[in-house]
Amino acid sequence: MKIKHKFIKRDIAGETFLVPVGETAMKYRGLLALNEVGSFIWDKLPQADTDKEIVDFVLDEYDVSLGEAENDVSAFLGKLKDMGII
Amino acid sequence: MIEKAKNTSSEPWMSTYLHSKGNQLGLPISGTFELTARCNFNCKMCYVHQNDSVNKKNELTADQWLSLAKEASSKGMIFLLLTGGEPFLRSDFEEIYTGLIQMGIIVSINTNASLYDENIRRLFLKYPPSRINVTLYGGSEETYLNLCGNASFERVVNNLRSMKADGFQVKLNVSLTPYNVGDMEMIDAISREAELQAKASSYMYPPVRCGGETGYNSARFSAEDAGTVMARWNALRNTEEATLRKAEMILHNKSADLTDTCMEDRQEGIRCRAGRSSFWITWDGRMLPCGTMNIEASYPLSSGFDKAWEETRLRAAEIRLPKECSVCPNRENCAVCASSCKCETGRFDGKPEYICEMMKGAREETVRIAEKIKKEKQK
Repeated sequence: MKIKHKFIKRDIAGETFLVPVGETAMKYRGLLALNEVGSFIWDKLPQADTDKEIVDFVLDEYDVSLGEAENDVSAFLGKLKDMGII
Repeated sequence: MIEKAKNTSSEPWMSTYLHSKGNQLGLPISGTFELTARCNFNCKMCYVHQNDSVNKKNELTADQWLSLAKEASSKGMIFLLLTGGEPFLRSDFEEIYTGLIQMGIIVSINTNASLYDENIRRLFLKYPPSRINVTLYGGSEETYLNLCGNASFERVVNNLRSMKADGFQVKLNVSLTPYNVGDMEMIDAISREAELQAKASSYMYPPVRCGGETGYNSARFSAEDAGTVMARWNALRNTEEATLRKAEMILHNKSADLTDTCMEDRQEGIRCRAGRSSFWITWDGRMLPCGTMNIEASYPLSSGFDKAWEETRLRAAEIRLPKECSVCPNRENCAVCASSCKCETGRFDGKPEYICEMMKGAREETVRIAEKIKKEKQK
């Protein structure tokens, strides 16, 4: 999946954030905080073309049901799409 | 899974949250790099600027700044303020700035805005800073010349408009002194016209960091006048209702936000983030908890950032403010801080009479202004 804007992922004080860089910083002022699963999915985005592939990555990594994985992935990707990030 | 920090004119809550966490865990969440002590201005009340030719020799190189930034980032630094002197005087500003941005650091800048040019504008359009803090020294060329030795008023105002038109976050910092107090209304009008947030202070630290005398700054108001001017600035910026509320708060010994302070709590030790979640590195590479604090420094270039930060933290943790301040009936409306105590008295636990008198002046003038408003309303 194509990330349309430039962010740098950083770990600060035990938490993970996306820092907008360049022109992205004019659109997204401030930091975007990611939880553990969000951070994991973010790293997998360039390797996946579909939501289903992301769900498979989550199922491989975490001990969750298919339904839970689908819900989490859908919520996260939906938010990224709403914000115009992917 | 994803949370967007608020974008407000005040500090975003994510920054507040991270600093709070940094205070608890002893992590350097934010820093200030004083890139140079050189300045094209020579402001009468400055606590940094001295001799340009001497200063340039001892400045850190771009590589040194970027190396320090890398170390600081690995410990948690996410927010960085670039200041001076005048940071745009560095011929390698672009190299330093770009390097910092590419590390994923959120950078803001203090500047007098007189050297902002097309090259810097293009750089900022490519990599927008988090915020540009412009110190506005007056409302006329005459004031600029008298206070700063540089008649750059028109240029600064034009640059402010350009920054704003390009969509950058800009904030005005205003240092009120006897030399520019007559321009207060003009400064207010400029900020309103450009829709810019403006923060003013009439408290000028004694420049002890660069060899000045404890408790003395030749370019500042008497303590009482500094308070009076602060109250008048507040009244200028606030609605009459807000001024009336401030007066009520003062009369009930409650906080009326009379000054713009960095105070976070009212403990006996250091009350801001200095040496708890933030640090300052001077133009010649000394780490301090805060740029105005005259305290033994650490040396991150020779000892490494980690060791320098730990030393800075420990020194800051030992600081105790005056016992009198913790029981003072006016403590809710006082701007006393570790740096001001040290600069005014030579001791962190020395009661700074200048601050006491200044805050008394601010409280009394606020109440006077409120009384006048009430009388006007009754007419």
